[in-house]
Amino acid sequence: MRQKIRDAIKRSKADYTEIRLEDREATNVIFRGKDLETADAVVDSGGIVRCLVRSGGWGVVTFNDRDDLQSKVGQAYECARLAQSEEPIELAPIPVSEDHLPVHLEHDFRQVPLSEKKGLAEGYNQIILGHSDRIVDSMTRYHDAFSRVISANSEGTFIEEERPMITAYVVARARQGENVQQAFESRSAQTGIDFVQGLEELAVTVAQRAVDLLDAETVVGGRYPVILNPGLAGVFAHEAFGHLSESDFVYENPKAQEMMVLGRRFGQDILTIFDDGSVPGARGTHKYDDEGTPSDRTDLVKDGVLVGRLHSRETAAKMGEPPTGNARATGYRYPPIVRMTNTAIEQGQTSFEEMIGDIKLGVYACNMFGGQTALENFSFSSAYAYMIRDGQVAELVKDVILAGNLFTTLAHIDAVGDDFEWSIAAGSCGKGQGGLPVAMGAPHIRIQDVVIGGK
Amino acid sequence: MEILDRLTAQAEQVEVVEIHSEVTTVGYEANRLKSSRVEETRGWAVRVVKDGRLGFSASTDASAADKLVTNVLESAAYGDEVPLSFPGPQPAPPVNTFDRTISELPTGRLVEIGQEILAPILEVEPEARITLELERGVERLSLKNQAGAEIDFQRSPFSINYEISRIQGDDVVILFGVEGTTTWQDDYLAFAHRLADKLQLAKTSATLRSGRMPVLFAPEGALVLGVPLVAGLNGKNVYTQNSPMAGRVGEKLFDAKISVVDDATLDGRFGSAPYDDEGVAHYRNVMIAEGVLQGFVYDLKTAAQSGVESTGNGSRSLFSPPSPSPTNLVLESGDTSLADMIAGIDEGLYVDNALGLGQGNVVSGAFSNSLGLAFKIEGGEIVGRVKDVSIAGNIYELLQDVAAVSRESEWIYYNYRLPYILLPDMNVVTKE
Repeated sequence: MRQKIRDAIKRSKADYTEIRLEDREATNVIFRGKDLETADAVVDSGGIVRCLVRSGGWGVVTFNDRDDLQSKVGQAYECARLAQSEEPIELAPIPVSEDHLPVHLEHDFRQVPLSEKKGLAEGYNQIILGHSDRIVDSMTRYHDAFSRVISANSEGTFIEEERPMITAYVVARARQGENVQQAFESRSAQTGIDFVQGLEELAVTVAQRAVDLLDAETVVGGRYPVILNPGLAGVFAHEAFGHLSESDFVYENPKAQEMMVLGRRFGQDILTIFDDGSVPGARGTHKYDDEGTPSDRTDLVKDGVLVGRLHSRETAAKMGEPPTGNARATGYRYPPIVRMTNTAIEQGQTSFEEMIGDIKLGVYACNMFGGQTALENFSFSSAYAYMIRDGQVAELVKDVILAGNLFTTLAHIDAVGDDFEWSIAAGSCGKGQGGLPVAMGAPHIRIQDVVIGGK
Repeated sequence: MEILDRLTAQAEQVEVVEIHSEVTTVGYEANRLKSSRVEETRGWAVRVVKDGRLGFSASTDASAADKLVTNVLESAAYGDEVPLSFPGPQPAPPVNTFDRTISELPTGRLVEIGQEILAPILEVEPEARITLELERGVERLSLKNQAGAEIDFQRSPFSINYEISRIQGDDVVILFGVEGTTTWQDDYLAFAHRLADKLQLAKTSATLRSGRMPVLFAPEGALVLGVPLVAGLNGKNVYTQNSPMAGRVGEKLFDAKISVVDDATLDGRFGSAPYDDEGVAHYRNVMIAEGVLQGFVYDLKTAAQSGVESTGNGSRSLFSPPSPSPTNLVLESGDTSLADMIAGIDEGLYVDNALGLGQGNVVSGAFSNSLGLAFKIEGGEIVGRVKDVSIAGNIYELLQDVAAVSRESEWIYYNYRLPYILLPDMNVVTKE
C-alpha cells in the first residue's frame, strides 16, 4: 500500500496532493430506558485525496474502494482545476515527516468480548433506572473505536498512525408530573477500556442529580458574581473564545480581523488561554494534524492579551503567521479544516475558598448543558448550579442560563483558580463536519457581573 | 449475494443491504467558486434475527465479508428480543426518483447554476456574502432478505445549500436553507428570486410592540410548528410514551384546518422512493385528518414493539440500525390565499424564519425561538423588517385554533411541504 500511495502521488499533476487512508473498527452499545437499542461492531475503511491547484482551488475525492488510487488523484485534480482563484493559494511550509506511531493499550478494548461491553452499559443503566421511582428514562452508551490512518503528501510526508478512543455516556431523566429534569456525564480518552470501567458511582451521581433537580427552584434572574467549575470554564473557553481564534473565520473577513487583532487586550493579567494538541492521552491530542503539521501548544491569550490563533497551512500562509497544527478532519470523508485540539484556561493562583469567600450572593455554575454563540454574543445553560450565599455553596438551582458579550465577560474574569484539570468528558466539536474529539481544561474561574436568565 | 446465503443457514431472519452512492459537490465561498468534491460511498449493512434476538453490523470493506458475518452474529447473540419480521416481496407504488438530467449534469453546469443563483441576489444586495453548495448524486439501494424481498432502486438527489449574510454595522441579515429534489425542476431559480425579494423587503425596518397579536408563519417559519409536530408523530417517541399524542389515535387534537400526511410516493421529491430502507413498500400515510389524529410513522422495530405494522418509515445511514423518520412531510394546503391572509391582519407578525429550531424539549410540543427574519404587518400590508423578536409556545395548545391555512405552499428543507399558517393570537416578545 505504501508504494501504491507514493506512486499515485508522484503521478499527480496538481501543485500539492495528499492522500489519507483510514481503517476503523468501532463497537457501540446503547441502552435507552429498559431497552437495548443496539450492541454492534462495524468496520469502516475508506480514503480521501485532496489536490490543490494554486491558480484554481481545492479538489477533494472520498471513497471506500481503494484499488485505483491513481484515478482518484486524477479526479481530485480535475475538481481542483474547476475553481479560479484571483490570487494563488499558498501553503505555509512545514517540515517533511516520516513517522510510524503504533499504540500499545494496556487494557486493549479490542480484546474484550462484546458481551462484556454490553454488560458495562447495562450495569450502569440498571443503576440509574433502579435509583429512584422518579427516574423515568435513561440512556447509557459504551463506544470504542480503533483507527489506523496513513497520511502522505507530495512533499514527502508519510505518517502511519494508530488512534484509539474509548467513551461512555450516562444520562438520567427524572419526572414528577410535567416537571422533567435531566442529568448526564461522560468519560472519554485515547486509552484502554479500564477508563470506562468502575463508573458505578458516576451513574448514581447522575441519577441523584436528576432527582434533586426536580426539587430545585428556578434561579432568580439578575446580575451575579459567578464561579464556573472547571468543566464549564473549559467549554466556555472552547465555545465562546476558541472558535473566534480559528483563522478560517478570520482570514477572509476584514470585520473579524479587526475584532481579533493581535495585541488586543481581552482580559486581566491573570488570564491565559491556549490550545495544545500534545497533551498525553487527551481527546484532542495527535502528534501531527491531518496536514502533517506537528502539534504543539499555541497561546491564544497570554496575560490578558491576544497573542495567537489557530491555523491550517492555507490560513497561516494567507495571514503570514506560522502554522499551528490545527488542520483536522472528522475521518476520511472530510478534508481538514481549522479546528481546536485541547483548549484550556491556564492554572492561576486563587484557591476555591478564597474565590468564594467574599461572595455574599452569587451562582456556582457547573458543566455545560447547551448553548449558542453568535460572534461575540453567547448564551450557555449550565447542567446544574448552586446559589452561593455568604461565601458558601448553598441550594441547588435549575435553568441557569449565562448570557452576555464575550469581550465584556472575559474582562470580568477576576479570579483564576489553582485547581486546573483537563476534562475527561467526551468533548466533541460539531463545526462543519460533525463530531470531532476535543478536550477542554480549566481551573475554577470567577466572573463578576454576569447576566443570569431565569424567572 | 453470498452473505445472505451464509447467514440464512445460521439465523431465522437475515437482511442484507448494499448502499452505493456517488455525490459531486461544487462549493462557493464568499461569492466565489472555491472547491469541488466527489464522494463515493459503498457499504453493506446486515441484520439478523437469531434465536429471536436482533443483531446489526455494517462495513465499507469489501474484503471483510467474514468479519461482517462474525460481527452480526455476535451482535445478535447479545441483542434485544424484538418480534419483528422482515417483509417479503411487496408491490411498490410507481414513483419517479431518478432523472438522467441530474445524474449526468456536467460539473461545469453546476458551476453555472451557482452563478445563476448568485446573480439575482447580488443585484438586490451587492454587499451580500454567499456560501453555496450544489450537489448532484446517484444513490442506489439494494436489499435482500430471507423472506424473498429483492429490492434495487436508484435515486438522483440534487440539492442546493445556501447561506447568505449581509452585515452593515450592527445590522445583520442571515438567510440559510436548502432546496432538494430528485427530478430536474425547470424553475430551479425560483428560490433565488424569492430570497432576493426577501432581502429587498428587509431593507425597510419597522418596530413592533410586545404583546398578543396574530402571527403569520411563512412555510420556512412554519417549521417552528412542524419540528415539534414531527417529533410527536415519530413512532419511537410514541412507543416510549414521550409523545403527548401517544395513545390518542381517533381524538381531535388540532384545528380542523390541520391535516398532515407522510407521502413518499410523490414524483421527484427529495424524500420519495418506492420502498423504505427496510424493504417496506411506501404509501400515502395520513397521520392527521382535519385535526383528528390517525396514526404515526413507524419502522419495523418500533412497529413490532408497539404491536402495529410498519408505515414504511424505516430510515438508515450505513452505520446505524434503521429508525423511524418521515419521508416527505406534507401539511396540507387550505383554501385561503396568502394575499387575503395578509390583507385581513390589522397589526401582526410575519415569521419568515426562526433560529434555534429543535432546541429544548421539542417532543413535549414546546418551542422557544428567536426569529432570524420577521416582518411587521400593519393595515393589511407587510411594512418592514422587525428585529430582536422572539416567540414561544406549545403546539398542542396553539394548533387547536388556527385562523387560516394558505392555498400556496412551498417545499423547504429537502422534504417538508408547508403552507402559510395564521395563528390568531400569540404572545410576541420584542425589544420595544
